[in-house]
Amino acid sequence: MRNSFIYTILGGALLLGTACEKEIDLNLNGNDNKYVIEGVLTDNKGGCSVKISRTKNFDGDNEFNGVAGASVKIWSGTDTTLLSETTAGVYTAPELSGVSGTTYGLLVTIDGEQITAMSRMPTKVPFTNLDVLDEDLFGDLTKIATVSFKDPAGEANYYRFRQYLNGRAIKSYWVRNDDLTNGNDITARLYIFGDANDDDENELKSGDEVTVDMMNIDADVYKYFYSLSNSATGESNSATPANPVSNIKGNAIGYFSAQTIETKTVIVP
Amino acid sequence: MKSKLLLIAVSLMALQATAQQKHTISGTIKSKAKGETLIGATVRISGGGGTTTNEYGFYSITLADGKHKLEYTSMGLQATTLEFTLRKDTTINISLEDESVSLGAVTITGTSTKRSLSAPQMGLEKLTAKEMKNVPVLLGERDAIKVIQLLPGIKSAGDGNAGMFVRGGAADQNLILLDEAPVYNASHLLGFFSTFNSDAIKDIAVYKGGMPAQYGGRLSSVLDIKMNDGNNQDFGVSGGIGLISAKLNVEGPIQKDKSSFLISGRRTYADMFLRLSNDSSLNNNTLYFYDINAKMNYELGKKDKLYLSGYFGKDKLGVGDLFGLKWGNTTGTLRWNHIFNNKLFSNTSLIYSNYDYTVSINSGSVSADIYSKIRDYNLKEELQWYPSSNHSVRFGFNTIYHTITPGQVTTSETSQINSRTLENRHSWENAIYASDSWKMSDRLSMTYGLRLSTFSVLGKGDFFNIDQNGKILDTLSYKKGEFVKTYVNLEPRLAISYKVNTTSSIKASYVRNAQNLHLISNSTTSSPTDKWVASTNIIKPEISDQYSIGFYKDLFGGDYELTVETYYKSLQNQIDYRDGANVNSVSNAIESELLFGKGRAYGIEWLFKKRVGKFNGWVSYTLSKTERKIDGINNNDWYNARQDRTHDIAIVAIYQLSKKWTLSANWIYYTGDAVTYPSGKYNIDGQTVYYYTGRNAYRMPDYHRLDLGATLQLKQRKRWSSELAFSLYNAYGRENAYTITFQDSKDDPNKTVAKQTALFKFIPSISYNFKF
Repeated sequence: MRNSFIYTILGGALLLGTACEKEIDLNLNGNDNKYVIEGVLTDNKGGCSVKISRTKNFDGDNEFNGVAGASVKIWSGTDTTLLSETTAGVYTAPELSGVSGTTYGLLVTIDGEQITAMSRMPTKVPFTNLDVLDEDLFGDLTKIATVSFKDPAGEANYYRFRQYLNGRAIKSYWVRNDDLTNGNDITARLYIFGDANDDDENELKSGDEVTVDMMNIDADVYKYFYSLSNSATGESNSATPANPVSNIKGNAIGYFSAQTIETKTVIVP
Repeated sequence: MKSKLLLIAVSLMALQATAQQKHTISGTIKSKAKGETLIGATVRISGGGGTTTNEYGFYSITLADGKHKLEYTSMGLQATTLEFTLRKDTTINISLEDESVSLGAVTITGTSTKRSLSAPQMGLEKLTAKEMKNVPVLLGERDAIKVIQLLPGIKSAGDGNAGMFVRGGAADQNLILLDEAPVYNASHLLGFFSTFNSDAIKDIAVYKGGMPAQYGGRLSSVLDIKMNDGNNQDFGVSGGIGLISAKLNVEGPIQKDKSSFLISGRRTYADMFLRLSNDSSLNNNTLYFYDINAKMNYELGKKDKLYLSGYFGKDKLGVGDLFGLKWGNTTGTLRWNHIFNNKLFSNTSLIYSNYDYTVSINSGSVSADIYSKIRDYNLKEELQWYPSSNHSVRFGFNTIYHTITPGQVTTSETSQINSRTLENRHSWENAIYASDSWKMSDRLSMTYGLRLSTFSVLGKGDFFNIDQNGKILDTLSYKKGEFVKTYVNLEPRLAISYKVNTTSSIKASYVRNAQNLHLISNSTTSSPTDKWVASTNIIKPEISDQYSIGFYKDLFGGDYELTVETYYKSLQNQIDYRDGANVNSVSNAIESELLFGKGRAYGIEWLFKKRVGKFNGWVSYTLSKTERKIDGINNNDWYNARQDRTHDIAIVAIYQLSKKWTLSANWIYYTGDAVTYPSGKYNIDGQTVYYYTGRNAYRMPDYHRLDLGATLQLKQRKRWSSELAFSLYNAYGRENAYTITFQDSKDDPNKTVAKQTALFKFIPSISYNFKF
């Protein structure tokens, strides 16, 4: 919501004056090529993957350059699964799935260095419905993907959503908690703000296919994505820019999430 | 403490008592045209010595009996001389005439108040409404704070922004007083304008250091703004119409010579332009503010005067029905001046201050209002005692009851959001103080004082014990009125001046300040929804110690002034958010989102000013450094505060071309703010995420711009005068970065780019002002 009034200032200034944008060259250096871990375990088989890469220079490309040759294990209690490297830097265990209420550990060993993380797979909240609704947004009638579910009372729930338009993931993060909505029937709109909003390709039109993944995540992973979307997306931040608060221990950044997932697809009316 | 100091003062005076009979002259100095009392007007005694009027125009001076020549002067007014034989205590009230009226033509002999070489006060900048008049500003909206930002040691919070940073302090470390009432958010329209309507302002004093003991509660500065009293001679109307706002000011006598009133209002109409726009994303939006200043004074008798003044302002911002934000300040001050005798002046003030905001969200099934406020009831008593011509003593007390409503979420029945109310926080702030300005010799003067402040956190409410990671260990519940914690701070204030010769002096000062109300902000730009939080059992009072030394020189017969001041400030118990803190969290335990640490700031400031003549203005230069060290941020190392700017230059020039035309220009340059830029990037779930290595380790591009202004005085008749004011903000169209963002390139998604947004470039304006 803070962003929207930053847009209003910019809008006001645009009108009063001549707000203008341009690309500039900044000398951004001092990157130490830290390990980046993106570890996911879901309640479905085939959903387990751990990606290992390194941070890149700002001027570098956006390709994924995996770090090969690591030992990657996911464990719970006394069960340990060794993941196998499918492509460079991508480690999977196709038969591994998780169970709500169980805590899982991640153990990565690269060049003798150990990186660990823990995550508890939360209760799965049923994804009741996916709709696309019209809303008057900044004066334009805009089509917006809307998810419905019933938040369970009696526990703290954290949600993350991913939205695809005609099979292509929209570059935006949607996370929410139930701090002010505990126990309610929720219909949540997945607004597309920020950079992703500038892109006409991200506009929902009749006949488009919209897919949404609804994930239940634990409190630490929520904190990771909340802080990431507030302070590390490079946009006009509502918070001082900072690295997201990670649940990874050791000389690495990123996250490890044991999460539930449910997917729905709808054709835009 | 108070009585001890008084005792010292009394005994010091006793030492100086001589056999010669002495008597006291006291009175009030006013302007003849309007009957406004004059602040800081000078009474000079031939043969040496003198005094200045206090904030209510009162003066008192004790002299040996005999023949004296008294000269009364005040900036922009005609000096009056009086010869007089002193035999008994005497009251002399003086009204000074306008210079322009008496000479029949506009001449400028002084555009700004002469700073005093001999007074120990340093770090003080004074401005009058007249001085602000000709400096070009954004959109022609005359704004006291934007002129103040052109002085050394005072930095603007951003392009076109009315927020300010003083000597490395944060925006919330400025005590902003409007007729003694604290103003908690002094900005309109998200910071582009200040809440102070220049039409209603009489006098502005900014203390950057060496704050006298009567001020307390903020670390970095005191901005003491006094409203006009209202014309008690004639009924008058003035007003102006500009590009974005219109204003009207009405004043007049209630009883001639004795009492008067003033009402001043303004409203912006930028939102009407928004409506004209074809862009549907703009014309549905609301964006305006209005404010009203009102004041009246009433003379109860020769020795008693009542003042009632108030301010009311409101901002409204809305994005269609989707999102709304309203905020505003209300202040009220009732004052009673009483002259006990010709040596003792008393002022009692009853003050109310309120700031609140409401955020409304209305999107489909989600609708909620979030309301927050801070409210003060405040009683102040101050006595000013002029025991001899070498001493002037102030002492008094101040007691404030604060109530903070941190957040109240109200929703409609159909909304999916649950209502929630955070507990109100109550606190009681007290201070007693005493200070004495002592003229030790012709060369040496000293002001020494002490302020004892206490801050009590009161129930009812839940307070917490938390661990290092911000986790709540246990909850302590307190009943209504129960004391949770009391902080006591002793704040010494000391200033010394030594007059080297008739044209130069050296001053030094030390001041300690304590601050118990903190504005918690995580954003890179200030927002009306930043939270005011009082000290708690965990949040300790912020404390600053400032040491400064200055050199002052009058050049070319006093037409030019050179001021050089240097300072070192150390700050304790500074506050910042933890990384990843939920800024909009609706939780009672805000402490679990905070980190605490220390700060330091130092710098040197030069001001070279031409005070008089057709051509006048100033050059100011500040070289400074401001850092913070907070455990949990930047690997616990020192880092640049956001407001750290190495160089800051302002040049202001005003030229009176003819009777009709006044031209002006200012040029500003400063080192870009310290900011956090990414040092690298990586990929999370198919999206580029930026990697940061140090807090505020990079710089925004350097900022500079030139503004031009011109004022055309239109035909003047006896009772009617009007003028046209033109200005061009950012005349050479420098694109100064307002924000810099990082994103995947639109042309090549495999690359990332930095993109800068500049706000104001060639902003012309015209406004028409009138007076009758």
